[in-house]
Amino acid sequence: MGYYHTPSSIEDALSIADKYNDNYTFFAGGTDIQIYRKQKLDLNEHIIDLSLINNINTISMKNGTLSLGAMATLDEIFVSKKIQNNFPLIAKSVNSVATPVLRKTATIGGNLLVKNRCTFYNQSKGWRDSIGSCLRDVGDICQVTGGKDDCYARNVSDAATALIALNAKAVLTSLNGVEHRLVKDLYLPCGIKSHNLSKGTILTQIHLSLSPVKWWYKKLRLRKTLDFTSLTVAATVNKTGIVRVCLNGASMSPILIKESLDLLTLELLIKQARKHCKAVDNDLMPLKYRKQMINVFLEECWETISQKDTRTQSSK
Amino acid sequence: MKGPIGRRTPFIDAIDKATGQAMYTDDYKFPNMLFVRFLRSTKSHAKIKSLDITEAESYPGVVAIATGEDLPISFGVLPTSPDETAMAVKKVRYQGEIVAAVAAETIESAQLGVEKIKIEYESITEFITPQDSLHKCEPDEQIHPHTKNNKNIHKIAELRFNEPEKEIKSASHIQTGKFKFAGVTHAFTEPHSTLAIWNRDETLTVISATQVPHYLHINLSKVLELPLHKIQVKKPSLGGGFGGKSDPFPHEMITSFLAIKTKRPVKCTFSREEVFITHHGRHPTEMSMSISCDDDGKLTALDTDIIIDGGAYGSFGVVTSYYNGVLLQGPYKIDKFGFRTQRAYTNKHQCGAMRGHGAVNPRYAVETLLDMMAYDLKIDPCELRERNFLPENSFTVGEFRITSNGIRDCINTVREKSDWDKKYGKLPFGSGLGVACGFFISGSALPILWNRYPQTVVHAKLDFDGRVVIFSGASDIGQGSDTMLVQIAAEELGIPMEYVQVEVADTKITPVDLGSYSSRVTFMVGNATKTATSNLRNEIAIAIAKEKNVSVNDLYFEDCRVITKNKSVDLSWMEAVEIAMAGRGAFLESGFYISPKLGGKFKGAGAGLSPAYSFGAFISEVNVHPKTGEVNVVKVWGAHDCGKALNPLSVEGQIEGSIHMGLGQAVSEEMWYKNGQQMNANFLDYRIPYSVDTPDMDITIIESNDPEGPYGAKEAGEGPIHPVLPSIGNAVYDAVGVRMMELPITPDKVLKKLKEKV
Repeated sequence: MGYYHTPSSIEDALSIADKYNDNYTFFAGGTDIQIYRKQKLDLNEHIIDLSLINNINTISMKNGTLSLGAMATLDEIFVSKKIQNNFPLIAKSVNSVATPVLRKTATIGGNLLVKNRCTFYNQSKGWRDSIGSCLRDVGDICQVTGGKDDCYARNVSDAATALIALNAKAVLTSLNGVEHRLVKDLYLPCGIKSHNLSKGTILTQIHLSLSPVKWWYKKLRLRKTLDFTSLTVAATVNKTGIVRVCLNGASMSPILIKESLDLLTLELLIKQARKHCKAVDNDLMPLKYRKQMINVFLEECWETISQKDTRTQSSK
Repeated sequence: MKGPIGRRTPFIDAIDKATGQAMYTDDYKFPNMLFVRFLRSTKSHAKIKSLDITEAESYPGVVAIATGEDLPISFGVLPTSPDETAMAVKKVRYQGEIVAAVAAETIESAQLGVEKIKIEYESITEFITPQDSLHKCEPDEQIHPHTKNNKNIHKIAELRFNEPEKEIKSASHIQTGKFKFAGVTHAFTEPHSTLAIWNRDETLTVISATQVPHYLHINLSKVLELPLHKIQVKKPSLGGGFGGKSDPFPHEMITSFLAIKTKRPVKCTFSREEVFITHHGRHPTEMSMSISCDDDGKLTALDTDIIIDGGAYGSFGVVTSYYNGVLLQGPYKIDKFGFRTQRAYTNKHQCGAMRGHGAVNPRYAVETLLDMMAYDLKIDPCELRERNFLPENSFTVGEFRITSNGIRDCINTVREKSDWDKKYGKLPFGSGLGVACGFFISGSALPILWNRYPQTVVHAKLDFDGRVVIFSGASDIGQGSDTMLVQIAAEELGIPMEYVQVEVADTKITPVDLGSYSSRVTFMVGNATKTATSNLRNEIAIAIAKEKNVSVNDLYFEDCRVITKNKSVDLSWMEAVEIAMAGRGAFLESGFYISPKLGGKFKGAGAGLSPAYSFGAFISEVNVHPKTGEVNVVKVWGAHDCGKALNPLSVEGQIEGSIHMGLGQAVSEEMWYKNGQQMNANFLDYRIPYSVDTPDMDITIIESNDPEGPYGAKEAGEGPIHPVLPSIGNAVYDAVGVRMMELPITPDKVLKKLKEKV
């Protein structure tokens, strides 16, 4: 049995969370959490719905800095003229998530903190009982690798890929106060504890000001909609020639490669990506193919970001 | 024709379905209704060592529990292979098989009751691939005890005509290929659902999402040991079948049993995962095939060896085994022809009938080999096909009788509309066109059950209110057969469709129809409806002729009136009805359909026989990304000979649906297993194409006017899927020069082939 809470302020939400200690789940858009509930992967008794909290769903721009309320839906962000005109990379990334209907409910905060996925974990209870569970669930072995220590569930946040490439910052609120942290630092290279957040922390805002001179974005998936990513790459080049390439969907956390364009080569870019990528066979797409696509995507990305032309460019 | 036949006619239930008013099985609710949840096997192949329901029985809310021992009588849609029991008895044969069922006051308490059942298994060697099943095993390892030679082979179907293997050995032009096809499932919208009520008069009413109320009726009687006259099966609105609801199912038996046991209404509705587990979809298939032809491109022989993975039980598998071979006899004339299909039992979800039953995968192989032949002979692929088409009014090598045949019109149409001659082989690298053809039965001439009854009977009743009610056992599963009944009745009687209503798919009220499968309904039920309403018209005419002293032959039924040409008789419909009913009141007329005797006298001659065959030709255009291997189908031109489109709107819908479903199997859909465990039993991971993945479609209906079809009609629901898949595969070759011998054509496979080519 569960209890559904609808706090109207961050403070209320935090105090409810504090009261129920580890036995709660924050509920943003819910498009992912509801499936976790149905599959009995989330058994917490208390659901804390954040949708009635004011001021964390707005999109605003001030002095060149964009503020995204964490509860803004992906669709609201996509249709925002501020975003489309100034941050087309964000528009592209949020529009690549799920389907039009889901994007009207799913939030940017929810997508940034989406749980890592694995073909052997994201299954019904009956399915998991059949195969013997895994160490992320109640088992003691990784069903993919046979190992007993590491979980390789993949981070699949498309929005994170773009926001890390844009060097965005997250605003985190807890009973201890407000903390500003780079989005890239929200993640841990672990399939089980994939987010570097203490209990009782709510992501409330995302701030960014980088307006790149070049950008590139592409998502690997079999269908043109709905599918979680098998590989997402976002890249930016800023005015001073700093390249930020972020890969996600291939490993437990987003991989950021940051380098001056003058020093970076395609070979170096691929080498860095492959070095940090801990891909295993836990996706619908075969592992070998996903690894091949890292090269293909980065080659295509490099064609855009390495051009001397400083016009803003993008992927298809 | 002035009536509704041939007119684009929205379905009579379209608004109800679009607005949520239509009642599906799960929408029905009764007082004191119980809910069922199932304990399903976590093992693929195991003996049940112990099953303890004690704790579950006393769990709050639990009212009754059923286990395999309660329903030990086996059943199946085919009387030749009734190999399934309602619940596992002593052993389980696939992961997800039902072991026990709990009926409780709420779904939640039923589920919690299930979790209180204690079960112990003892694993048996699992047979996951069909190749595993072709080898000998220990007797106690066999999936079923009835298979021969200590192997797990369910059926071997083989026919050979005129020694094709000899021809292929000596022919000057030969093409051979090995093909592999993943299993795919129907993915209908409405999950399986059944509601059973044990009535006070000790009769059983079963409301169920089924394509085959008649077969369910018979199998319920067998399993429950209840006389046929005490069972009523009703099919309410149904949200898609595609063959996936054309068997009698365990959950239907169990729900009915629990209703009898508790004397309360009992309902079960599957989760989507349970629908995937229940499956009965297209068999995973591996085949080697060879074709040969002469210097002119005339086909001389076809020989193929096929292994299909049937999963744990038989379902339609015997028919599927034959269809894999016999339905390659057209649309091309091939005089030396042979096939062997082995259907293996494996410890996976059972396969059965699915749109295009049995012939979709081998059709891909034939059309691919033909494309290869055309390429080698430097003959245009359309031209090569045209040289080989069967003529109308002919026979195939296996004695299929071909009546109407619009295949030439089909291929000429798509060839012209797609600009084939200007584009094929001439588009830039990465883009290409592919062509393929196909044919399919308009119902099976031989019914599943051998008896002396017609394949369908229709009653048409006239009453004082002027309303004509059509009583038919036909199951509208979303394909629009109810609308077809109304159209035909209105056409025959010259009245608006609003005067005609239907009572359908209720075994207590409606005469027997065998069900919605093998694309039989329009042809068979349509003919029976035409006969019934034509008899009704005749009865009315006789009464009027007598009263007005005119000849029956001088009376015309049109525009809601009955008239003579000289207007000596000019009656409104209601006036005509009054005359017809004078002195006898309401009456009904009957029509039926029995297929003509067809086919040869050899063993297996009955497989694939049909009173008429549909034909079609499709061309697809694709873009293939040379670096990622992604295949984007940008446009499909389809021309299908359905004889006569009784409702062009509906025929177009069937063709569009076939393109969408064919596209899914071609590029993205797959029942994906690892060690017998399905990895993608949900609509996120089982990747049906979305609207944005679906290409532009250009549909042409070809009307060849079949001499025996109602108004000339033949089937349109299954035939159009056959050419879709190979037209895409052949287009990929035209685009990037690689032959895709394995479906689905996913990017990784294309990329692998491209790298091999380099």
